[in-house]
Amino acid sequence: MAQPLVKKDDDRDDEAEYSPFLGIEKGAVLQEARVFNDPQLDPRRCSQVITKLLYLLNQGESFTKVEATEVFFAVTKLFQSRDIGLRRMVYLMIKELSPSADEVIIVTSSLMKDMNSKTDMYRANAIRVLCRITDGTLLTQIERYLKQAIVDKNPVVASAALVSGIHLLQTNPEIVKRWSNEVQEAVQSRAALVQFHALALLHQIRQNDRLAVSKLVTSLTRGTVRSPLAQCLLIRYTSQVIRESGSTQTGDRPFYDFLEGCLRHKAEMVIFEAARAITELNGVTSRELTPAITVLQLFLSSSKPVLRFAAVRTLNKVAMTHPMAVTNCNIDMESLISDQNRSIATLAITTLLKTGNESSVDRLMKQITNFMSDIADEFKIVVVEAIRSLCLKFPLKYRSLMNFLSNILREEGGFEYKKAIVDSIVILIRDIPDAKESGLLHLCEFIEDCEFTYLSTQILHFLGIEGPKTSDPSKYIRYIYNRVHLENATVRASAVSTLAKFGALVDSLKPRIFVLLRRCLFDSDDEVRDRATLYINTLGGDGSVVETDKDVKDFLFGSLDLPLVNLETSLKTYEPSEEPFDINSVPKEVKSQPLAEKKAPGKKPTGLGAPPAAPVSTVDAYEKLLSSIPEFANFGKLFKSSAPVELTEAETEYSVNAVKHIFDSNVVFQYNCTNTIPDQLLENVTVIVDSSEAEEFSEVLSKPVRSLPYDTPGQTFVAFEKPEGVPAVGKFSNMLKFIVKEVDPTTGETEDDGVEDEYQLEDLEVVAADYMLKVGVSNFRNAWESMGDDFERVDEYGLGPRESLAEAVSAVINLLGMQPCEGTEAVPNNSRSHTCLLSGVYIGNVRVLARISFGVDGPKDVAMKLAVRSEDEGVSDAIHEIVASG
Amino acid sequence: MILAVVFANSVGNILVERFNGVPAEERLHWRSFLVKLGADNLKGVKNEELLVACHKSVYVVYTILGDVSIYVVGKDEYDELGLSEVIFVITSAVKDVCGKPPTERLFLDKYGRICLCLDEIVWKGYLENTEKDRIRRLIRLKPPAEF
Repeated sequence: MAQPLVKKDDDRDDEAEYSPFLGIEKGAVLQEARVFNDPQLDPRRCSQVITKLLYLLNQGESFTKVEATEVFFAVTKLFQSRDIGLRRMVYLMIKELSPSADEVIIVTSSLMKDMNSKTDMYRANAIRVLCRITDGTLLTQIERYLKQAIVDKNPVVASAALVSGIHLLQTNPEIVKRWSNEVQEAVQSRAALVQFHALALLHQIRQNDRLAVSKLVTSLTRGTVRSPLAQCLLIRYTSQVIRESGSTQTGDRPFYDFLEGCLRHKAEMVIFEAARAITELNGVTSRELTPAITVLQLFLSSSKPVLRFAAVRTLNKVAMTHPMAVTNCNIDMESLISDQNRSIATLAITTLLKTGNESSVDRLMKQITNFMSDIADEFKIVVVEAIRSLCLKFPLKYRSLMNFLSNILREEGGFEYKKAIVDSIVILIRDIPDAKESGLLHLCEFIEDCEFTYLSTQILHFLGIEGPKTSDPSKYIRYIYNRVHLENATVRASAVSTLAKFGALVDSLKPRIFVLLRRCLFDSDDEVRDRATLYINTLGGDGSVVETDKDVKDFLFGSLDLPLVNLETSLKTYEPSEEPFDINSVPKEVKSQPLAEKKAPGKKPTGLGAPPAAPVSTVDAYEKLLSSIPEFANFGKLFKSSAPVELTEAETEYSVNAVKHIFDSNVVFQYNCTNTIPDQLLENVTVIVDSSEAEEFSEVLSKPVRSLPYDTPGQTFVAFEKPEGVPAVGKFSNMLKFIVKEVDPTTGETEDDGVEDEYQLEDLEVVAADYMLKVGVSNFRNAWESMGDDFERVDEYGLGPRESLAEAVSAVINLLGMQPCEGTEAVPNNSRSHTCLLSGVYIGNVRVLARISFGVDGPKDVAMKLAVRSEDEGVSDAIHEIVASG
Repeated sequence: MILAVVFANSVGNILVERFNGVPAEERLHWRSFLVKLGADNLKGVKNEELLVACHKSVYVVYTILGDVSIYVVGKDEYDELGLSEVIFVITSAVKDVCGKPPTERLFLDKYGRICLCLDEIVWKGYLENTEKDRIRRLIRLKPPAEF
């Protein structure tokens, strides 16, 4: 509640002496509200009391049901007064009290009277109040008046009715939809606000009718729109029409001229709206982007923070998809790093991190270092994430970026921030082999002084996996063993496990690890002692240099091979009895889709967040899934699993996507099926695959889903045989086959009899890229040189006329399915030539590198020179064949 | 949707708060978040200079007017630009009612009027009226001048 500014000196000026609401108290105000019942109403007094009630409500005070009812009934008495000011307050008060349905009836007649009053303003306000408190039945009674009001010649009345319509559309859509003729008329109104409100309502009424929206947009973009707000709406609707028309043809994109024209509008909000609409166009070309970027660049140096913010926010988004288009703004953006508003500064930095090139990284890092000290953690996290992706883009710069991360790791910060940094370092260690040793040491130093148990244990776990694989594992032992002395029991226990892992994996360290583990036997904590005892007794060799038994390793450190969710459910349903819990009874089938599938494409796995700390890549998850199915046991090692391919359109009855699993001489299609109909149960679900257009493949088995209840994904598999090691390609047509049973949605009971049914799915293709793993190298030149030119194959190809150089580059990358290195997948704007470096592993585990030089010949013709090096002559030729036949 | 319009005095006490579509249990959080935002950033800021912040997909535009700080919070179509339009209408209406950038006392004196103005400007989370002259007339139940 507001603190009154009490001052004792009476001679002071009248203002700011005491609050008119000094000592206000709900009970007293409710007492005062009795004046509403006076036979002789004092409008001034009543207005004051209402103000006090409003003050109470606006302070978050609430009235009990009885109090609210009492006040409401009293307020309705005020309709007797003819005082205009008081009447306005009464309207507001009724809305604030939002009376219940049985009370509304008291004011309905008064409001209906006002709604037909000769005084325009009574009409407008009565409409607003009625629509706020009304329900469906009352609405049908007053619908006639509302329709009239929409086309009322007084713009306030029309607007009141239109805005009411917008709100009522949520609760009573079928009634409001009947008003479209009147609303259509109001769109042509000369009053700017009426046009704005009418346009919004009309669009909402017709939003599911593409043709109607398209017509609306066509007519309005030709005519005049009076208010900037309405113009903004029109721009939004126009983008929607463009999006739905699905045209990506350059040059004659419909309505582009309209959007471009809006960039010269006098209202800033219209300019922004148009610029954003252009930047968000599907497959926007650099020619289309340029005018939008130019106006946004001007706003970067605006004196108004809101405009700077809006501009940099939009450019930040553009930078994610078209980094080169934004580079022109880099100088303006750099000056924003020192902007007083930290939101703007953070956006500027993260944009720069996306658009910068390799040479500017060091300079940028220097600027960021100064900036980091005075921003809040939430902004720092954004910066850390941007730096992580920058480092993955320019792996050669890992040294300075890793140093930066380790420096900020030492500074003050909360848990989320520290976790973001640690996650980033972990990801860099995983993806950039050269960064591994230094990264692990940074993490070691961090746990020496880490206040977060969660992070310490996660890092220890990660050290246990990665540390033994380094060139000198012994140097990490000191950091780990220090934890046993200095930390709480949780961290100590996890340090013991990490030590044991070093002992198990590095035989030469085993005797020394045993010495350390023995010391842990005297720990004060049970868990720490138990773990130490377990490891000492199972690792074997009694401290001498011997190899640890594989079974022991699997037992101690192997994964459970069970989906944790299944284990959890089984444990919950287990009832304590004589019979011990049997882990073999836990089902191994993954119920829902594997975790990695649900992530947005391109999103990196989140570092330590995902247990266990070893990278649970998509392949790992699939490998586990497939190995749990006995029929696939003799297929050998899984080479690659593709990203899921959708075989149904969005929002169909059955949603199916497919993952292609490639083995040496087999291919398995995993169909992830979801039944989206609540009152159906599907049984014996299979996919019938026609492989007549895939000659080298022959079906060997099909594994159905026995039961597919509503909204619980299930997987069916179809396996094929193909010639060993051959990258066979082909097209497969698919038909979902199942038995449908009706389910009573209220009882959940299923009918006994089912009907057989089929559902056509889209085709699935196995292409050359399916036989290539995306595996990057951190230094392409080194890798290229060390591979040697023994099996180098060079040839030139004409790609014919292409939309742009960038489009041609990305098409070739997709065709080969290789990993672009050193950011060479991005093609600078307007460039006429480009070199792209690719790396991958071909089926049979053969490393392949490709260097492709593209050039534009004539107006649009693209030509390329492809140089391939690999460890196998045949593979180098195979890559050329892919390109030649693609 | 305009999620909130909040007025606070110079020491961070709430004078007016109007939430739309914000669950009651989250309001306290918003209230303290906004007040802290103002305390951190509004010192030395000129009257009506707009500041902006965002948290995930929610935007905040705020400013100071006399002794009173004003915050509007929005999402979706009410991004920083939409909100700056809203706050511009609010500040001009408040100035119009008070005759100048208000002291806290003056603001409280005109409390009823200001509530009426807000009622005309924001209706259940949507911007309704945008011109101060029109609002001045509407809160007196007079038809707008242009009509």
